[in-house]
Amino acid sequence: MVFEKVKELIAVELGIEEETVTLESDLSDDLGADSLDAIELIMAIEEEFEVEISDSEAQKIKRVNDIVSFLENV
Amino acid sequence: MKIKELIINGKTAKFPIIQGGMGIRISLGKLAKACMNSGIVATISAAQIGFLRKGFKDNPMKENLIALSEEISNIRENNPDGILGVNLMHAMNNYQEFAEFLSKQDIDFIISGAGLPVDLPEYIKNTKVKGAFIVSSARAARLLLKSWDRRHHFMPEFIVCEGPLAGGHLGFTKDDFDSGNVEDLESIVRTTKEIIKPFEEKYNKQIPIIAAGGINDGHDIASILKSGADGVQMATRFIASDECDASDEYKDMIIKSKEEDIVRVESPAGLPGRAIRNYLTNILETKRIKPKYCVNCLKTCNKSNIPYCITEQLGNSSNGDNKGLIFTGAKAYLITKIESVDEIVKRLIAECKIDLSFN
Ligand SMILES: Cc1cc2nc3c(=O)[nH]c(=O)nc-3n(C[C@H](O)[C@H](O)[C@H](O)COP(=O)(O)O)c2cc1C
Repeated sequence: MVFEKVKELIAVELGIEEETVTLESDLSDDLGADSLDAIELIMAIEEEFEVEISDSEAQKIKRVNDIVSFLENV
Repeated sequence: MKIKELIINGKTAKFPIIQGGMGIRISLGKLAKACMNSGIVATISAAQIGFLRKGFKDNPMKENLIALSEEISNIRENNPDGILGVNLMHAMNNYQEFAEFLSKQDIDFIISGAGLPVDLPEYIKNTKVKGAFIVSSARAARLLLKSWDRRHHFMPEFIVCEGPLAGGHLGFTKDDFDSGNVEDLESIVRTTKEIIKPFEEKYNKQIPIIAAGGINDGHDIASILKSGADGVQMATRFIASDECDASDEYKDMIIKSKEEDIVRVESPAGLPGRAIRNYLTNILETKRIKPKYCVNCLKTCNKSNIPYCITEQLGNSSNGDNKGLIFTGAKAYLITKIESVDEIVKRLIAECKIDLSFN
């Protein structure tokens, strides 16, 4: 469930096809997110899921799975 | 149109000019004092400021902090009231420790570029020191404002928009330059002016937009002020001053440079930089230079596979060795002589006033 929503958000924010987003995708290497995209994505996730992701937590996020497991654990 | 003053941290600079921070050890106390005495804002660069201190290689952090506080107290003894900032690149390791240290010093602002300082407000929020950032697009400015607003309810004292002609590390990638995907300074200033409006309204506070990169004379200043900038940040022009802390050899490289001598180099920081062609840049066209030591300076340096060490090469050149890396802005070739800061500022203002009064 969470993954579906995250996938959709990533696709919208990065302007890519949803199918290219997998749990294993590396946001920067595989999906082409630069540092600005990454911040934008984090803020979009905070809004959508009504959570707060601290800067230190945000820095740990490399793959889609990192986002999903963060959200599943809050 | 008239030249406006620039207000930072409740103090007023007579002219809206900020002398930009230059590492390593290019803009320090001597240049800062001269700039403040001439009515403009001064910035020293924190980048490896302790480089020449004895224990630097063993304990760079400690020596950097000592050098910073010595430099600041020396400036303040002479000029307690001028506007003084410290440039702290976000890409530096120990960013938080530096920022927290600086928040307790007698300075007016910390300014961060080379990365996105989302966390700066955390370290300075309840102190007397203000925060500012350097961006190369309105998009980066908007994201930082949004993040500072949402997380820290905190706004920058001003924003520097840096275009593609700047010196030091550049906010555009090699691909951007190669494909021509670089926005000019005027356009960055215009679009940034737009995106700050809702934040200015929400906080009932003006956020001055300062333009940087390739501003060399008063005509350049007038032209960007007409495009809506509230001030300018200039760095390269001030290298060729009597008071600049750079070595005479460094200054000489600047005034002798020709347009074709100014090149872009890859940097271990992960961004291109602009430099004067010399022994080092020639070697780097085909080879790498193995670092002699590592002080773990940058978050963004991957340590293996780097073309050269940025601290070692900038440090060497700051020490008078012209085989090191000579950072410069794109317009250095227009500068032909070394003058005092006061002469430079007076001419900038005179030229700017003429242009502004004709329109
Ligand atoms: C020698 C040199 C060193 C610089 N060092 C820094 C630095 O340590 N941190 C930083 O944010 N910008 C640095 N810059 C960028 C300047 O602060 C400034 O924004 C830029 O050079 C403006 O363009 P101009 O040189 O054409 O006036 C450096 C620039 C030069 C020329």
